[in-house]
Formats: sequence, structure tokens, C-alpha cells
Amino acid sequence: MNRKPMDRVGRLLREPLLHFLLIGMALFAAYGMLQQPGDGEPGEIVVTQGQIEHLAAAFARTWQRPPTPAELAGLVRDRVREEVYYREAIAMGLDRDDTVIRRRLRQKMEFISDDIAAQREPTEAELRAYLQAHPETFRVEPRYSFTQVYLNPQRHRDLADDAARLLARLNEPAADTDPAALGDALMLEPQFEAMPASDVASLFGAPFAAALAGLAPGQWQGPVASGYGVHLVRVSERTAGDLPALADVRAQVLREWTNARRMEANEQFYQGLLKRYIVTVEGPEATAESDDLALNKAP
Amino acid sequence: MNTRLPTILAIAACALASVALAAEPANNEALTKAAVANLTKPQFSPYAGRNFPTRVLWGDTHLHTAISVDAGTMCRVGQEDAFRFARGEEITTTHGLRARLSRPLDFLVISDHAEMYGLMPQLLSGDPEILATEKGRKWYNELTSGDNDRVFATAMEIVASLSKKDPPIKSDQAVRNAWRAYTALADKYNEPGRFSAIIGFEYTTMGGNNLHRNVLFRGDATAANRLVPFSQFDSQNPEDLWRFLAKFQQDTGAEVLAIPHNGNLSNGRMFSVETFDGKPLSRELAELRASLEPIVEVTQIKGDSEAHPMLSPNDEFADYETWDRSNLNGTEVKKPGMLQYEYAREALKTGLKLERKLGVNPFKFGMIGSTDSHTGMATAEEENFFGKHSGVEPEPHRWEHEVIAAPDPKLTVMGWQQAASGYAAVWAADNTREAIFDAMKRKETYATTGSRMTVRFFGGWDFTAADAQSRLPAGVGYAKGVPMGGDLRQAPAGKAPSFLVAAMKDAYSGNLDRIQIVKGWMDADGNTREQVYDVVWSGDRKPGADGKLPPVGNTVNVAKATWDNSIGAPELISVWTDPDFDAKQSAFYYARVIEIPTPRWTAYEAQRFGVKMAADVPMTTQERAYTSPIWYTPST
Repeated sequence: MNRKPMDRVGRLLREPLLHFLLIGMALFAAYGMLQQPGDGEPGEIVVTQGQIEHLAAAFARTWQRPPTPAELAGLVRDRVREEVYYREAIAMGLDRDDTVIRRRLRQKMEFISDDIAAQREPTEAELRAYLQAHPETFRVEPRYSFTQVYLNPQRHRDLADDAARLLARLNEPAADTDPAALGDALMLEPQFEAMPASDVASLFGAPFAAALAGLAPGQWQGPVASGYGVHLVRVSERTAGDLPALADVRAQVLREWTNARRMEANEQFYQGLLKRYIVTVEGPEATAESDDLALNKAP
Repeated sequence: MNTRLPTILAIAACALASVALAAEPANNEALTKAAVANLTKPQFSPYAGRNFPTRVLWGDTHLHTAISVDAGTMCRVGQEDAFRFARGEEITTTHGLRARLSRPLDFLVISDHAEMYGLMPQLLSGDPEILATEKGRKWYNELTSGDNDRVFATAMEIVASLSKKDPPIKSDQAVRNAWRAYTALADKYNEPGRFSAIIGFEYTTMGGNNLHRNVLFRGDATAANRLVPFSQFDSQNPEDLWRFLAKFQQDTGAEVLAIPHNGNLSNGRMFSVETFDGKPLSRELAELRASLEPIVEVTQIKGDSEAHPMLSPNDEFADYETWDRSNLNGTEVKKPGMLQYEYAREALKTGLKLERKLGVNPFKFGMIGSTDSHTGMATAEEENFFGKHSGVEPEPHRWEHEVIAAPDPKLTVMGWQQAASGYAAVWAADNTREAIFDAMKRKETYATTGSRMTVRFFGGWDFTAADAQSRLPAGVGYAKGVPMGGDLRQAPAGKAPSFLVAAMKDAYSGNLDRIQIVKGWMDADGNTREQVYDVVWSGDRKPGADGKLPPVGNTVNVAKATWDNSIGAPELISVWTDPDFDAKQSAFYYARVIEIPTPRWTAYEAQRFGVKMAADVPMTTQERAYTSPIWYTPST
């Protein structure tokens, strides 16, 4: 899905679970080293004024009024209870074998990773560089203007011979030679103007399009095989594919640049984290030997 | 993985059945008339003034991705990859295969289910808004339990929930977010002239009884964002969908149309002559249906709905990829009396009757094909077929996996029964959302079972045999007649309608066997009749004593999954005049083009994986095209 990066960040920032985790982490950072919970020594839980205001604001959003003092006290008591359970659960490792929590945390990491990747707009220079570096993605296709005369293989006992004779006639035309009236009928235009190579391939088949690329303009040539039979072809003009100006394809380049940056940054992020670990796969041989798949590729 | 899971998912996918009602057409012939005006004045340049469509556009109007609540339980291909795949790029499938199309499509409609739109990915990612709902929490726990039986049971539950009145998970904000993300993505991938990303969704009412339709937008995200997808939780009555869409058009000035599909799985409901509540059809409803549902999807992976052998016993080609044992999810067995309300040809005939009764023909529809694939991949080619859903993507045993698991195993649908079908062919002058939408409105479309043959079909009063000598039949076709989807009225005295029909093979597929014209009409007693005419065929075959043309032959080598084009013809063209025309009787005519036999997808699969399939698994197919009809309406 394509959420705007800022939306994604915003959504993440608004998530209560994130607040909770951040608060949790902050609490750990501040007090965790002093008081390990669950080790017999009492831990310390401080509910700050800021947190209380946050609880009150969340309550007001839902109920459209501020909490009463009794309600606020209840909220604070509940926050303390949550904090206690949270710390004890972490200490007991309850998060480790819980699929829901594992996936949720992984997804949060992916959100963060995505956001790092998508935080900024590219500069013009970056877009230009991307365009230059990926010419095949943005290249304007070669275009062909050509005339074709079709020969239906079922109508010719000696197709090669008939094609050769017709070719000679086309290359030394009499005054009344009309290519559009020669050869066999087929519901294809006799003449195509500036047709992109991929359209040629869709209509005539890929081998025909490939053959067209090798024909010098001017002369009638062939026969060239297509999905219908064979054709004699005169290419009148070939426009080489070239790289368009950035202004003409800015939207596409931006789309591809953003996509590439996102994938690249996600991969970097993951690879950076992966470096902190030595991974051993003890599975069956098939699993172990595909370490490339298991370790180095994004899922 | 559990083999039943795919089945269930498939069922869910199908839950979007459609009811097709075609109404009196808006007689959308502006383009034709303009073309005629220009063509009747000869120009020096033969190409000047040719403002009619010269190249047919190919697309899929019915594709699901991971965003759909059913597909989402198994499919990992999202909307962005689905667009990229349709544009001809290579993607990685849910199962990790690399896949691309033999050639790009010109347009695509990603029609994810309106029901709980986008909630499945959010559910699987543990979205707090979704997990805050009771069902969301439960499904999440089950689907991530790693226990196949529990996953399967939950998938079943999700499918079943599509038939219930209330959404198991309701999160308006989440749906709106997902819908807007989709419309923005479609705008991003829409490139006029190259690829049209038409915005749409599927309304999936009456799950198992498949009154589903796809809703398509003419405009961009600005238009589409003015609603959130209308789902069966808003109303299970398709008539309410029409009213909603009519009001939406009126309020916003945006334009939409709806495409019903899988009449074959509706168990007698898709082309019913009654209202949803069982009352007689009213003129108002017939008009509404006709105006909003100009075309019907008649062929797709879950079977072909053009004709049924019991309804058309004299049509030896009527039994094509037939799914007729039950409704969509196998919860209700099919009774013979239901068929007449399910198949397109019969519905077109019924429409003539209703028109006499109501003054409006609610079933005046054109035809298209599409895939209804739930893999995120619009594949309909036999040698590149990725199946109904991600539970039955290519692998050695998919032919014997269940696609749809029914409570009674006898009604269960197996993998080999999937049809690698179909695509929508549209005669639009430009590859833009607007031009394609407008062509659909005027029904200048045809269905194919996946092959990309070019088909022209024109009707008029003055076509002569010489017109079939034309190398470019469109010129004379538009000049002297109306194209597919058009209307003929006011028969000149003593004349019968004549039709110019032409077809050219798909450069990548088999030669053509024959072109037929299917005529349906209402006789003097008010009974509907039909007749299939062979009008032009390959080779020097002669019809036998029974009037039937002998089969074209068969060059398929099943073991190697190959064929050759030594039989059949690359092109067929003819002018045909109705030999039994009666100017007082309303009628419709459409062309059916049949290819020579080629390997069915099962043959490619058996060859590639070296598996032997059961003897009753078909290994060859004859791809075909169905054009939109041309109607003749007598003067009153």
C-alpha cells in the first residue's frame, strides 16, 4: 500500500502502542539499571505530569469532556498496573514466543525503515542521475514507420518463390504498383506510422519486431515471419529509441526513484542490523545451503 | 499447505457474483455517425477522416490482489505489483516464481472486494484499529497461529461472513484509507496512450449465489474518492447498488458502470425476471439496470456463461468450460430450471420478451471476458496461467487440488476445472480511461477466452459480398452500418439485415476454425428462439446432411503441448444476410469466433511438471470470442 510517508509517520506517532513503548523504553533507560524488576529489589515507577496530561487528553478525545478527579485517578492506577505487568512480562520473556507480538514488532521496525527511506523528496539532480542510470526503464521505444505486404502460407504452393518474385516486383515498381493491393488479404493496416516496437511485437509477434530492427530503411525486404504468415516489409523510417528529457517523464522517474530508494534503504537498514548477529541455520540441508535466500534477501 | 484452504479462498473470491441487467441503450453512436459523415466523403489520403478505432485494446476488468479480504488470506501480490504485471513487467508471485505476460495489457481494473476493503492486510499486520474489534482480534490470532486447520477454518469463516448482513469487522476509517491509497496508486499508474488504470471495486452480494458486479469509474481519484465502495453490508440487494450509483452520478457528475459476472453460479438469480424481493420487474428497475449495466462478463476462470448445452441443444460448441453443478460455493445444488436465468444467450432472448412487456429491455448488454483472478496477476493464456487464487498457483498437483471446497464433496471444484479465461476487448479510439469507458457504454466490446483475436462485426441493410473483399473492413463497416453493440431499426421494405464479420487470429495463438453468427429472436407467438449459423470457415469443408460443418481437425500433440497452424485460417471474413428475417419480430445477432484446437493449460502443466492427470481432464481447448450483439427492433 502506498501511504504518503508523512501519513505513515503521523499514524505511527499517533499510535498509543508506540507511546507506550517509548514511555516504556524511557522508563527502562532511566531506572532499569538501578532497579531490575523481578529480582527482589523494588522497581520504581514514576508517572510524570506529562503522562498524566496525556492520559487526560486521550480520555477527553473519546468522551468529549475532561475526566473527573476520580476518573483520572483510575486512569493513573491503570497505567501503573499496565506498567507493572508490562515490565514483568518482558522480564519473563512472554514477548519472545508470541507470534502476534513478534510480528507486530517486526512491522514496527519495517514502518520505521520505510519512513527513513521515504522521508525526503529527491533533488532534480538525483532524479536526473536516476534517469541516466536506468535508461532502459525510461527509454522512449524505437518506432517504425513501415509498409507490409502479407502472404498467407496456405495460399502458396511455393511460398519462398512467390515471395521472391513479389519482392522483385515491389523493388522495381511499375507506375500502377500499389503495395496495399498486393499479396493476400489480412485485416492489418498496409501501412503503420511511427509504431512503438512493443506494439509491433503485440500485433505481429516478438520475432517480427526483432526482425524489423535489422531492416535497413528504404528497400522492400523479406520475407519476414509473423504470427500470421510472412510479410514483405519496407521500413520508411526508424526513430531510434532515446532517453527523454527529465521534464517529460518526471512523474515516472519520481515513482521509480522512490520505489528504488525505499527498497534499497530497507535492505540497508536490515543488513545493518543483521551485522550484529551471527546466524546459524541448523535446518535440513536444503534450508542450510540456501543461506543466500535465508540471510541476505529481504523477505 | 492444507489443500482445502485454496478452495475456501476461491469461494470467497467468487462471492462477488453479479446480476446483469441491460437496459435500453443510450444509443451511443456519436462516434459511428461522425465516422460515417467523414467516410462518405472520399478523401485523397485513405487515412484521413479515419476517426474510428483501428486497434482493439485488451484488458482485464476483474482482478483481485492481497487487498481483497479473501485473496488476502493467501495472496501476497499487492495492487502496485498487479499494475506492474499487467503493464508487462516481471514480478515475483506469492509462491516465489518469476512471472510476466507474453505482452502487456492495455488496461486493467483492480476490482478488490468492497466488503471490508483493505482490511485483510491491515488485519494481518496487526493494525490496532482492527485488532480492537472482537472479530479482528480472533481472526488475527487464528490466521497467525501457524496451525493449518485453524487457518482453514478461519478462511471458511471469512468467506461465509461475506454472505451475512453485517460486517464482522467494521472500521470505516480503515476502509476509507485503503480505498484512497488505491485510487492514488491507480492515478500514478495511469498513463494515457500507454496504459489505462481504470478505478473499480467489486460489490459482492449474496456470496454463494453470486449476484456480484464490478463497478468501474470513468474518472480519476477525485471522482472515486467521493464515495467508499458500496458493499453487501450496505445492502444485499443489487437494486440498491444501482440506486446508489445513480444518485452518485447525479450528485457528483461522475460516471460509473457496473459489470455483472458468473451468471453460471447464481443458481437462477442473475437474469431473473423478478425483482430481488420476488415481485414483477418494473420499468423503472429495467431502465436503471440497462443504463448502469451496459456489458456483462460472460467468460472467466470460474467457467463460461455464454451458452449452456441444455438451453442450446443444437449448438455443439455450447458446452465450453461449463460449471453447472451448483452455486458458487457448492452450498446449493443446481436444478435444470435455473439455467435459463444464468446464461447470456438466454438472457438476451429473455430481454426481448421483457422489452415487449415493459417497453425497456433490461438485458440489452454487450459482452466482455475477464479473469477474476485472486493472485494479483491477470493471466488468461493457456501456457502462462497462474490460476484462480494463490492456493492453486502452478505446481505439479494443482490440477487435483480443490479450488472451491463444497460441504458435499460431489460439488467440490477441482483445480483442473479452472478455465484459463478471459480478456476484455474494447474498440476504443484512444487508450485512455475515458475512451475505454465510453466504448463499454456503447458496448463496442467483445469477450475472448484469453486469446487475442481481432474481431469486427457490423450490421446494416446494404452490405454486399463485395464488402468482404475489403482489406480493411472497418472502413466500409462504419460507413454502411453499425458496429457491435449497435441498433438496427426501421427495416427498409423487403430487406433483411446483412452483417459484415471479420476475424484475424492472435499472432501468438492458433488459426481460426470458423465464424458463426448467433441469432436470437421472438417469434409471432411471443416465444423466443435461437439459431447458430456457420457463416465462414477455413478450408474446403462442406456442411453435412445435418447442416453441421465437420470439425476443423486437431494438430495438438498433448504429450509435448504443441500444435501447428497447418489447419484453420489466419483470417476469415464474410458478409451474411439473415435468411429468415421477419421485420415484425425483434431479434439480436452476435458473432462467435472459434479457434482451431490448441493445448489447454492442463496439457502445458502435465508436460512441464511431468505429471499424468486423470483421463477425464481435458487437454485441448478451442479458444473463442463472443461479440456484443447488434439488436433489431421493429417499428411500433
